[in-house]
Amino acid sequence: MKTPRLLRNGIAVAGLVLILLYVFISVISFFWLPFDPLAMDAKQILQSPSFSTGHVFGTDEFGRDILSRIMKGTSVSFIISISATSLGAVIGIFMGVWAGYLGGKADNIIMRFADILFSFPSLLLAIFIMAILGEHTYNVVLAIGIVYIPQFARISRGAIIALKGNEFIRAAKSNGAGRSYILVHHLLPNITAPLIVQISLSLSTAILLESALSFLGLGVQPPNPSWGNMLSSARKVMMFAPWTAVYPGLAIVLLVLGFNLLGDGLRDMLDPRLRNVR
Amino acid sequence: MGKYIFKRLLSLIPVLIGVSLIVFFLVRMIPGSALQMYMGTQVEATPEQMEELKRLFGEDKPIPILYIEWVGNLLHGDFGYSLRTGRPVLPDILNRLPISLELTLYSLILALLIGIPLGVLSSLHQNTFGDFLNRVVGLIGLSLPQFWLAALMVIAFSNSSGWIPMGNYISFFEAPLKNLKMFFLPSLAIGFGFAAVVMRYTRNSMLEVLQMDYIRTAKAKGLRYRNVIIIHALKNAILPVITVTGFNAGYLLGGSIVIEEVFALPGMGRLALYAINQRDYPVIQAIVLVIATLFVVVNLVTDLIYALADPRIRLIEEKR
Amino acid sequence: MKKRNLFVLCIVLLMLATVPVVFANGVSETPAVAQKATTLTIGVGQEAVGLDPHIVTAFSSMRRLDLLYSRLVRLDENMKVVPDLAESWEIPNNLTYIFHLKKGVKFHNGREMVAEDVKYSLERVLDPTTASPGRSYISSIKDIEVIDEYTIKLVLSAPLASLLDALTSNNISIVPKEAVEANGNLQRVAVGTGPYMLKEWVVDNSMTLVRNPNYFEKDLPATDTIIFRVIPEEASLYAGVKSGNLDLATINDGATIRQAKNDKNVVVMSKPGMNVRVFSFNNEKKPFDDVRVRQAVALALDRSEILTMAEYGMGQTTGPIPISAKEWAIAPEDLAFGKPDYAKAKQLLAEAGYPNGFSFDIVCSSTYEGGLAVAQVAQSQLKNIGLTANLDVVEWGNYIDRWVKRDFSAMIELRGGSSEPDRFLFRSLHSTGGVNNFMFKDAETDALLELGRAQTVPSERKATYDKLQQVLTEKAPLIFLYSPNENQVLSPHVQGFKQIGNGSLYYVTHAQVIK
Repeated sequence: MKTPRLLRNGIAVAGLVLILLYVFISVISFFWLPFDPLAMDAKQILQSPSFSTGHVFGTDEFGRDILSRIMKGTSVSFIISISATSLGAVIGIFMGVWAGYLGGKADNIIMRFADILFSFPSLLLAIFIMAILGEHTYNVVLAIGIVYIPQFARISRGAIIALKGNEFIRAAKSNGAGRSYILVHHLLPNITAPLIVQISLSLSTAILLESALSFLGLGVQPPNPSWGNMLSSARKVMMFAPWTAVYPGLAIVLLVLGFNLLGDGLRDMLDPRLRNVR
Repeated sequence: MGKYIFKRLLSLIPVLIGVSLIVFFLVRMIPGSALQMYMGTQVEATPEQMEELKRLFGEDKPIPILYIEWVGNLLHGDFGYSLRTGRPVLPDILNRLPISLELTLYSLILALLIGIPLGVLSSLHQNTFGDFLNRVVGLIGLSLPQFWLAALMVIAFSNSSGWIPMGNYISFFEAPLKNLKMFFLPSLAIGFGFAAVVMRYTRNSMLEVLQMDYIRTAKAKGLRYRNVIIIHALKNAILPVITVTGFNAGYLLGGSIVIEEVFALPGMGRLALYAINQRDYPVIQAIVLVIATLFVVVNLVTDLIYALADPRIRLIEEKR
Repeated sequence: MKKRNLFVLCIVLLMLATVPVVFANGVSETPAVAQKATTLTIGVGQEAVGLDPHIVTAFSSMRRLDLLYSRLVRLDENMKVVPDLAESWEIPNNLTYIFHLKKGVKFHNGREMVAEDVKYSLERVLDPTTASPGRSYISSIKDIEVIDEYTIKLVLSAPLASLLDALTSNNISIVPKEAVEANGNLQRVAVGTGPYMLKEWVVDNSMTLVRNPNYFEKDLPATDTIIFRVIPEEASLYAGVKSGNLDLATINDGATIRQAKNDKNVVVMSKPGMNVRVFSFNNEKKPFDDVRVRQAVALALDRSEILTMAEYGMGQTTGPIPISAKEWAIAPEDLAFGKPDYAKAKQLLAEAGYPNGFSFDIVCSSTYEGGLAVAQVAQSQLKNIGLTANLDVVEWGNYIDRWVKRDFSAMIELRGGSSEPDRFLFRSLHSTGGVNNFMFKDAETDALLELGRAQTVPSERKATYDKLQQVLTEKAPLIFLYSPNENQVLSPHVQGFKQIGNGSLYYVTHAQVIK
C-alpha cells in the first residue's frame, strides 16, 4: 500500500506528532495531574525542579506545581485556539466568498469592513476588544476570532476571484446553474487548499496571541493557569527562578511549532509550483 | 495607473471615517474612565469639584456631541489634549512614532539579512538535510513568543551596558553605534520570527523561477551561466518578499508593542498600551487614526509595487 | 589598476582597525576629567503625569514634587512634623495657627517667597474650581490672614488635630501666583522653592533636575543633577542599579527585593511603610451585611501567611492604624479577631445562618495595588472555613470603575495611610467619608472619629483612637492586613539617603554618589 502523501512529508509528520503529543497530555489532564494546579504551599515557594520533591518542573511563587499547571493549561490553549480560529474562519470565509463572487459594490462594502479591522495591528485590536468586553476566557476567543476575520476574508476572496474566470465555471453558468450551486459545488472545494494552510497557521498564532494577551494581564486570569499568565507572573522571579519562565515558554514554543510545521508541510504539498526542482 | 492610485486613496476616507467612529464610541464602552483613574481610591472631591473635573475630562456632554466636536477639531489639525497629562496629543505621538518605526525598520532589515540568504541557500539545495534544518529553525523562530524571548534577553544582558535600552533612547543621528547596539536585541526579538517568513517566501519564489525550462537548460550549460541565472532568479524572487513584507507590516508594528514594553523603549506602541490602560481617549483616538492611516498607505504602496511588477494583477485590479 | 586596489584596501583596513577601538568600553562618555557636575540617576516605574502640586494625584508625580517644591512643614525620617518653609509656629487656641516663615527663600524664578504666596497657595487649593485633591485635607480652614511679610495666620472653623500633618502633603505645596497665571496651571512647568529645578522633561524617557542655587537649606542639595528614568520593568530597575546605570530605584515587588537583598552589589533599604493592604467588604451587600460573617472572615485570614506569600515577608501585620505609626497603633494580635481561629469562625457562620459556608467574588487586579497575590492566598485560606471565594480579576481601569460604583462584595485594596490617624481613618470610615466605599455607617465610629479629630490633648486623643481601633476590629467593616515595606535599591556608592516611610524621595536632597 502506498503511504499517503501527507505522511511522506517529513515536516508535516513532525508537526502532527507534536500536536498529537499535546492532545494526549490534554486528555490525560482531565483524569490525572501530578498535583492540584491550584494548591498553594507556603513551604514550597519557588522550589527548583527536582525528582525528590515530586515537582519535576519546580514550583511557582505560591508553591504551586508548574508541571501540573502546564498540563492544565494545555486544554485551555487548545480550546481557545480552535474556537477562535473557527470563529474567524467561518465569518471571514463567508464574507470573503460572497465579496469575491458578487464583485462590484457588494465586494467593496464587504471588504471595507474587513479593511477597517485589518488596519489595526492584531495585538492592538485584541487588546482593545478585551478592554471593552472584560477579561474572561470566552472574550479571548471572541477577540482573537475577530482579529482573524480579515485574513480569512482576503484569502477566500482572492481565491474566488482567481477561480471566477475559469472555464468550468463559465461552462456551469451557461448550463444554467444558479449562484449558490456554483458556489457550493465548484468554488468552495477549490479554495480549500490555501484555507487549510491558513487555518493551521491561525491555530498557531492564536496560541501566541492568547499568551501575549495573558502576559499583558488581559487574557485568562489567575489562578487559572494559562501558559501566558504563567509567564507573566514569572517575569518578576525569572532572574533567580528561571524554571518558572522556561517551562511554560517551552510549552508554548513546541505546540506552536507543531502547528507551524504542519502548516508548512501542507503548504509544500498543496502548492503545485513547488514540486522538486532537481 | 493614476486613476487606480486615486481611487485607492479615495477609499482611505471611508475607512478612516469608519475607524474613527468605531474607536470613538467603542473606547467609551470600556468600563472606567480617565476621570475615575485620576481620582483613584484615595481622593475626595466635593460636588463642585466634581463638576469642574467632569468639564476638564470631557464628561459633561453627550457622546455624539463630543464626537462632532472632536471631528471638527481634527479638521483644523487639533488632535486634542491628553486627559492624563494635559499635553497636546499630536506632538507626543509624532515624537514617539519615529521610534516605533525605527524599531520596525531595524527588525525588517535584520529579518531580510537573515532570511534572504538562508532562503536562497535552501532553494538551491532543496530537500537536503540542510534545507530541512533551515526550515525547521525558521519555524522555531516563528513559534517563539516574542515577549518570552525579550524577557530572556533582558535577563541575559542586564549586566552588560548598552545592550538594553533601559528607558534611555539615543537617536541614530546622535550616536549611531550606541543606537544600533541599543536596538539590536529588540529588533532581533521581533525580526527573528519574521526572518522565517522571509526565508520561506524567498525559497519558494526562487524555486518557482529556478524550475522554468530555460533555467534547466542553463544548468546543463555550465557553472558560470548557472550563477548568472541564480542572480536573475534572485531578482525575481525579491518582489514577493517585498510584498509579503508590506502585508506583514501589521504584524511587525504589533510586535513592537510588547517589545517596547519589555525593553522600555519610548515608542508609540507603549503609548497606546498606556492610553488604553488609562482611558486617555484623545490619545487612543489619535493613535488609532495614525496607525490606520499608516497601514492603509503601506498596503496601498505594497499593492502598487505588486501591480507594477506583475501585469496580470494590474489588469485585474484596473478592470474592477 | 592593481595599485589603486591596494590603496583602497589599505584605507579599508585602517577603517576596520578603528572599529574595535570604538566598540571597546561600550562607547562610553568622555574620558574622566575631574568631574565638574555630580549626577544621581533614579529609576522609577512610572512616568509622572503632571507637575502641578495642587492638582496631581498620581504617586509617580509626587516623587518629582518631593524635590521641586516645599511646603510649610514636612516629615522627617521619623515621620515627625518638622519645619520646612515655616521656621516656627504657634497654636494659641485650637482654632488658630500662626506660622513664621523663613526669610530669604527664593522661588526658582528668583523672587522671594513671602506670606502672600502661602495665602495664594492655600486659597488655590481650597478653591473648588481648582478641583484639588488636597482640599479635603484642609477644608476646615475658614480664614487666611497675612499678618506681615513673614507671618501668616490660619483660622479654622472647627478644631482639626491633623492640620499640621495635612500641611506636609505635596498637594499643599507653596507656589508663586505669577507662574500659575502665566501658564494656566503648573502641569508642565515647575516653579517652586524646592532643592531642585526642572531642566528638561522628555516624556516616558527621562526628567532632568538641576540644583537650585538659592535653596534655603545650607549646603544642600548635595548633588548637582538628578535624572529620573522611566523603566516599567522592576527586574530592569534592579538590573539598572546592579550595572551602575541607576543609582537608586524604588521597587515594589517582593520577589525582586528578595533577590536584591542577597546581592552584595546593591544596598537595599527597607522600612515599614504607611500604606495598608486591606480586605474590603461592601457592608450593604449580603452576606457581608451581617457582622458575624465579617468577623468569621477575619478569623480565617492569617495575616502572617498572607504577608509571607504575597510580599515575601517584607512588611508588618497591622490593625486599623498603620503599625509604623508607633504613637497610635495597636498591633492586630492585641485587637479582637486578630488571630486565626477556624472553629470560632465556623461557629459564627452557623449563627449567621451559613453553616455550610457560601461562595462569593473577590475583586482584584494584577497591578501591585490590585492585590492579586493577596487575593489568591486569601482564597486558599478561606477554604478552611468552608467559604468558596472566586477571584474576579479585572484590569486596573475596570477595578477603579467597580470601586467607584461600589460594585463588589469583597475587594482587595491598598490604602494610603498616614501617621496621623485622623487623615486616614476619617475619610475612610466616617459615614460621610469621601473614600468610604465600604458603605459603612456606624454611629459609634462616627462619634469617635469626630471626637478624635477635634481633641488636642494627646492623652485624651490617644484614648479615643485606642477605643476606635477596638471598635473597628469588632465591627470589621474591612479587615486590615499588613503594611508593606517601602523599598529602595541603591548602589553602594550612594550616601546620605534616608527613607521617610511614605515613599517620599525628599532625602535625595542629602544624597550623593561617592565613587
